[in-house]
Amino acid sequence: MPSGVDTSRYLGLYVSEAQEHLEQLSQNLVKLEQAGSTGPVIDEAFRHAHSVKGMAASMGFEATARLAHRMEDILDAYRSLKERVDRATGDLLLSATDALLGHVRATADAKVLPDTSALMGALERKLWVLKPDTTPRPSSPPPPPALARSLGLPPRFALRLKVAAGSATPGVRAFLAHKRLSGLGNVFDLRPGLDDLKAGRLNDGSFSLELETALHETEVRAALNTIADVELASLRLIEPDAPSVPKTNEPEGPRAVGTEPARTVRVRTELLDQLLDGAGELLLATARVREVAKSAPAASRGAMEGEVDRLNALVKDLHAKVMKARMTPISVMTDRLPRAARDIARRRDRDVELTITGAEVELDRAIVDELNDPLLHLLRNAIDHGIEPPVEREKTGKPPRGRVQVNVRRDRDRVVLEVEDDGKGMDDAKLRAAAVSRGLMTPEAAAALPMREALMLCCLPGVSTATDVTDISGRGVGMDAVKRAIESVGGTLEIESQKGKGTRFRLLLPLTVAVVQLLLVDVGDETFGVPVAKVNGVVEFPEEQLARSQASPLLPFGNTLLPVYSLAEVLAVPNGHVHAGARPFVVVEAESGKVALGVDRLRGQEEVVLKALTRPLDLVAGLAGVTILGNGQPIFILDVPRLLT
Amino acid sequence: MRHVVFRLDKDRYALPLAAIREVVVTPEKFSRVPRSAPSVRGIMNLRGRVVTVVELATLLRPDQPEKKHEGPPRKIVLLDRGRRELGLLVTEVDGIEAIEKVGPAPPKAPATVKGLARLGALAVTVLEPEALDAAVAASFSKISRS
Amino acid sequence: MAKRVLVVDDAIFMRDIIKDIFASGGFEVVGEASNGVEAVERFKELKPDLTTMDLVMPFKNGIEATREILRVDPKAVVVMCSALGQEALVMEAIEAGAMDFIVKPPRAEDVLAVVKKVLGEA
Repeated sequence: MPSGVDTSRYLGLYVSEAQEHLEQLSQNLVKLEQAGSTGPVIDEAFRHAHSVKGMAASMGFEATARLAHRMEDILDAYRSLKERVDRATGDLLLSATDALLGHVRATADAKVLPDTSALMGALERKLWVLKPDTTPRPSSPPPPPALARSLGLPPRFALRLKVAAGSATPGVRAFLAHKRLSGLGNVFDLRPGLDDLKAGRLNDGSFSLELETALHETEVRAALNTIADVELASLRLIEPDAPSVPKTNEPEGPRAVGTEPARTVRVRTELLDQLLDGAGELLLATARVREVAKSAPAASRGAMEGEVDRLNALVKDLHAKVMKARMTPISVMTDRLPRAARDIARRRDRDVELTITGAEVELDRAIVDELNDPLLHLLRNAIDHGIEPPVEREKTGKPPRGRVQVNVRRDRDRVVLEVEDDGKGMDDAKLRAAAVSRGLMTPEAAAALPMREALMLCCLPGVSTATDVTDISGRGVGMDAVKRAIESVGGTLEIESQKGKGTRFRLLLPLTVAVVQLLLVDVGDETFGVPVAKVNGVVEFPEEQLARSQASPLLPFGNTLLPVYSLAEVLAVPNGHVHAGARPFVVVEAESGKVALGVDRLRGQEEVVLKALTRPLDLVAGLAGVTILGNGQPIFILDVPRLLT
Repeated sequence: MRHVVFRLDKDRYALPLAAIREVVVTPEKFSRVPRSAPSVRGIMNLRGRVVTVVELATLLRPDQPEKKHEGPPRKIVLLDRGRRELGLLVTEVDGIEAIEKVGPAPPKAPATVKGLARLGALAVTVLEPEALDAAVAASFSKISRS
Repeated sequence: MAKRVLVVDDAIFMRDIIKDIFASGGFEVVGEASNGVEAVERFKELKPDLTTMDLVMPFKNGIEATREILRVDPKAVVVMCSALGQEALVMEAIEAGAMDFIVKPPRAEDVLAVVKKVLGEA
């Protein structure tokens, strides 16, 4: 470690940031290998390697820094030689990226760094092949700043475009121009945003963006010149940033559209969970303040209540915004697919091109989390069981390189996600036979199934058309788990397949799951959830001091008395506790007005995914839904208004 | 057609295999369903899905007092109801047998009984999956009306 | 040499209108197709410089057909024909790789302006 500076407190940041750089580097490498591109992708890859080198060096992790440095050198060589990255080099660079990830993880766990000297040797040999005249030395000084700059980012242009006033479809025109420019490099800072752009909500017919591209200005102009009714109003070059500035240190500006994934997702989502918790508690706290305000002296009560109303509106707005911020672009889960596709294809000797469209479409984070593994499984299936080996493909007149497409689009209030391959298709006859042989249905019933349903048979446990079991298909979740995961977030799965032509899995997903904030209460040995939105407050009060002059006991609350119901009695809970001393009461809004529900214990708040009640549970009055807690226990969510009727 | 043959105490019953999603062992704990029918044992978490489980014996013979269960852990036969399941708590699952001939149900048998069949020397009561589901729903409706 | 065009539309009268427009602009219409499946076949056979593609057609829609054509030849120039109100479909087609679009009913000067632009002739 460098003397004098305590780097340990930066360790967490180093680990998370370096991992992000390396994950993106690995994505870049896959792209490079596929496209053989020498443009923006290799610059980006170089930048990530460069950043990791710098970070590791300043943390004093010399082995990591040296390894990253070698990668940087090789990438730089490819960049200046404008040579295509071949498969062998792709393998080498990806192994080096994995090794670097290994270093970073070992650092995080305070373990000894794995030995990577063999890999180091391979990298140095490769570099020597590429640039025989320069002798690479680990201790070679970093390039001077001027050179670093010239090696750094590709130029960025600021463009302003205008759609012809007479155009009947300005949104589509603008979208077309945007699409054309996205093909030239990375688009940033699109204004107005893509959704507004598509809807034709432009500023006086025009829109602006920044384009980072290795192309010359004249080429950018030429590309735009092929689009009718869109005019380039202005174009100017912006100075690039120096490459050594880590991006995460920049203030959160407008994010790149569709081209670059959010860089700090892990941190951001944790924070979001806390924010949501916080917002939920604020809602509850506001309700309490409202009650207190009611017992304030009459002179100040009106003013206070007005302020509480305002506070309440603000808090509700905040809560809604936090919910909205949970929307996550699907790229979070699709970004790792190219690497996965490459690895699976390589292991199975397939030649596969993966294309992904619509990754900018957003979904609730809970859904995105849930679909990570199923999506990977569908990809595996497509390559492993769909795409044929190149020789076989050529025999049937197909191009040797198979295609797998992941297409995402928004369809009204749903998101449609498709995984499509042009492989050999599914054999419905085999599926029908498998279902019969497993005794799941009679041969007649199997034969009578329409095609759509026959294909869905692959989602029954154990039914699969795969005759071979590879380490790829055999691992992890099966199609039954895929289907369950999709259904658990309220989505549905459809399969289309044509023998010899290919297969398409279509996931129809809701935009958001029903997420509710619950107050968890214990009664006897049971736990119930009360929606926080229905809770007016929580008080502790000695049971024996309740006013008992009326038919039901009464609880003083603010300046009123509320009827008290024991939740144990209402729900006929066995083993209800006998209370001596203070007992918690939850004040809720029932149909008849506010009431206090006596419970045994408050367990706190939790954000849960609400599941609808299926038959026969939907027949029970007073239940709104059901959810599964973190410990696996299923609990009911109370339908507060109908609980007492 | 193939059937899943199982026991309630000593009596043998069967359900068509096509109507069964799977058989699982009883979880350690059910969550009780408040305000439910006597036959409803509770809900369980089956790999992220919430499944209602009923005492099949109580559902078939509501008038008989519930016996206390002793012996090895019981099994849950999961009835496939499309997008949901219904769990039936049984004493033990014997296996899968081909039952081709189902004789008529005895007179006065409830709708849940499809008929009687023989497996070698054993008498088996063949149940009707649809009717079981309907019987559970009906027992709930009675509660909410009373 | 005149640029060679393939016209795809399921309505004969629409194909005729588009053909006339191309003829007036000095293009050569080398083929026609009335559905997406046929479009892909004709494209492979004719290798036209430009394909105009209806969006909604039987058997295989224009977006699917466009995807397939671009699979056969990533440099293919496909221009969509759409009615007003099909903006979302047009954008999907552009995502799929269509180079531009014209709006039905087609007006000669608009169509020629768009195709000359995409072919780099304007």
